[in-house]
Amino acid sequence: MDRNIKISIRNLYKIFGPDPVGALEHVRGGMGKAELLEKHNHVLGLQDINVDIHEGEITVIMGLSGSGKSTLIRHLNRLIEPTAGEVEVDGENVLQFNEDQLRKLRRERMSMVFQKFALLPHKTVLENAGMALLVRGYSVEEFEADAKKWLARVGLEGNEYQYPHQLSGGMQQRVGIARALASNSPIMLMDEAFSALDPLIRSDMQDLLLELQDELQKTVVFITHDLDESLKLADHLVILKDGHIVQQGEPQEILMSPNDPYITDFISDINRARVLRVRSVMKKTTEAPPDCAGDISDRDNLESVIARSDGDTALTYRVVRKGKQVGVLDMKELVKALVPTEASEGDARSRY
Amino acid sequence: MATYDFLFSSLGLEDWCAEGQSDGPMSMADLLKKTQGTSSEPDSLWDTPFPSMDALNESCAAFPKSRELTKGLEEGFLSIKDSLSVVLDPLTQPLSWALDGTLYGMLNTPWWIVIPLLLAVVFFVTKSWKLVGFVAGSLFLLAFIDYYRYAMETLSIIFVCAFICVLFGVPIGIAMSRSDMMQRLTIPVLDMLQTLPPFVYLIPLIFLFSVTESKLYGIAIILYAIVPVIRLTNLGIRLVDKDVIEAADAFGMTSQQKLFKVQIPLALPNIMAGVNQTIMMSLAMVVIASLVSAPGLGVLVLQGIRNLELGVGLVAGLGIVILAVILDRVTKASLARINASQKQ
Repeated sequence: MDRNIKISIRNLYKIFGPDPVGALEHVRGGMGKAELLEKHNHVLGLQDINVDIHEGEITVIMGLSGSGKSTLIRHLNRLIEPTAGEVEVDGENVLQFNEDQLRKLRRERMSMVFQKFALLPHKTVLENAGMALLVRGYSVEEFEADAKKWLARVGLEGNEYQYPHQLSGGMQQRVGIARALASNSPIMLMDEAFSALDPLIRSDMQDLLLELQDELQKTVVFITHDLDESLKLADHLVILKDGHIVQQGEPQEILMSPNDPYITDFISDINRARVLRVRSVMKKTTEAPPDCAGDISDRDNLESVIARSDGDTALTYRVVRKGKQVGVLDMKELVKALVPTEASEGDARSRY
Repeated sequence: MATYDFLFSSLGLEDWCAEGQSDGPMSMADLLKKTQGTSSEPDSLWDTPFPSMDALNESCAAFPKSRELTKGLEEGFLSIKDSLSVVLDPLTQPLSWALDGTLYGMLNTPWWIVIPLLLAVVFFVTKSWKLVGFVAGSLFLLAFIDYYRYAMETLSIIFVCAFICVLFGVPIGIAMSRSDMMQRLTIPVLDMLQTLPPFVYLIPLIFLFSVTESKLYGIAIILYAIVPVIRLTNLGIRLVDKDVIEAADAFGMTSQQKLFKVQIPLALPNIMAGVNQTIMMSLAMVVIASLVSAPGLGVLVLQGIRNLELGVGLVAGLGIVILAVILDRVTKASLARINASQKQ
């Protein structure tokens, strides 16, 4: 996988209030969110955020409401101005852009999908899908073919001349995605894009996104408050809490070794068998196991392996990637991995 | 001796007060007091007058009376009136032309062209045959009782004034929606225009313009009726969904694109509601403006009051009601059409 850094966020701070720069000094001096609010009446939105977003990957930023995730994503295209820090896209500092450069960035290099869809209610689905092109000055005739292609790609063939209010929520968000894709920008920002949809449709849309991502390899920044969603989509997971990053990394890694009681607590309720993959629990070796029960892929989740073994913990499987053995999975190890990691401190649960 | 003598003596202003002493003509009240021989000194604390301009004047002749305030205002206005007219006259002249031209056009085109034309406009904006039938019935009724000419005069004035209200009101509303400062400055003016009794507009206008000019009543109507369209344009644009605006920003729209492709289209239902209100208010004002020579049904109402012609007044009033209902239904129907096309 390509590991070029597409967007790089460096030491980003955002403080809301009448004198953010003054308040920044207090924060740098070690003052916390609650204290800042109480003593200086400023809200600490983001605190020392450092994230590298790699090209062609889905980076998921997860946090509960109020954790600053929506604020963070709006810094990438400067819908919100930071108090301090840098945001670099392709090595250029976005914060030094003038209005024209910024507009060009938003038009050609970044597109955005919104939680509440934010379609133009007085325009047809087709015109909405072509909004990015319309903004660049193309006429409807010119972008019609392009917009239709993307609408068909997200499964909205035949709805082109309807109005958004005639579509269901899921279909409206498909228009939102088609609109972002039609702009042909390499970066897609998705702000809680699926949070307003019901669970079944949400799952459909996640599959659609993964499918599109396989094909298009965009750089996606996805915001969500849903852990299952983030584990399903993320190549790189960033967990935010109260405006700072608690842990970031590969999702499987975070699951196996959470470095903060907050995360331990967070992940203790998920279905580990479905989320964990074989590669995270296998023993890396090219030596063939003595009594092999069969081959499994390193990308299988544990649930499918358990189903296959029929619950027999005595078995050992050979793990293969692209036909070559990469490891061995002992069913006993698998079962152990299903037990949530104990919190590093015994009183973690009572603290949260 | 008067109540507040002590005030001026304690301040050492007696000399200044004495300068104002004159034997010139006094007010009726003074004369009466003199003949009755009563002193202005109150008998008890209970009767102490408020230290108003007149009360202070009694103690100190140099202190101005309240009568002089209104007189000063009047003189001030009259002194700037001429220079104000030099500026305002040419600026407002097109309004006279528009009103006179429209009146001339409407009244000199035969009825069998004007009525079908109006019906065509009604159909164009509402796409409803039922409404066209209603308007046709109303117009024929008015024409049948020989009120056609008056009704058309009233209608032409409303058309011109409402058009000008929209022409100026919408841009002012847009400017208000884009700057909080502008909004803060404009709202008190709008509040004043809306609460000032309609007759009060007429007073300075009579001094500024000649009563024979049609712009006199034109301006009075526009000042009165422009408020709702400004308010609702401002409100409509401010109420546009923040998420949609954010999306427009995120896709790199310029502020002009945002205004014409997002904000105005989405504010249109509110703007149209403002236009409806503006038309209704011009109709209300056109009746009052008949006091300053505005032609139309209002003249008949006035005639009814002045000559105690009960029948004429009532029928003219009924004619105004019919016009009001027509204008209201037609603008509401076109508003509903816009609403239907952009349900959220």
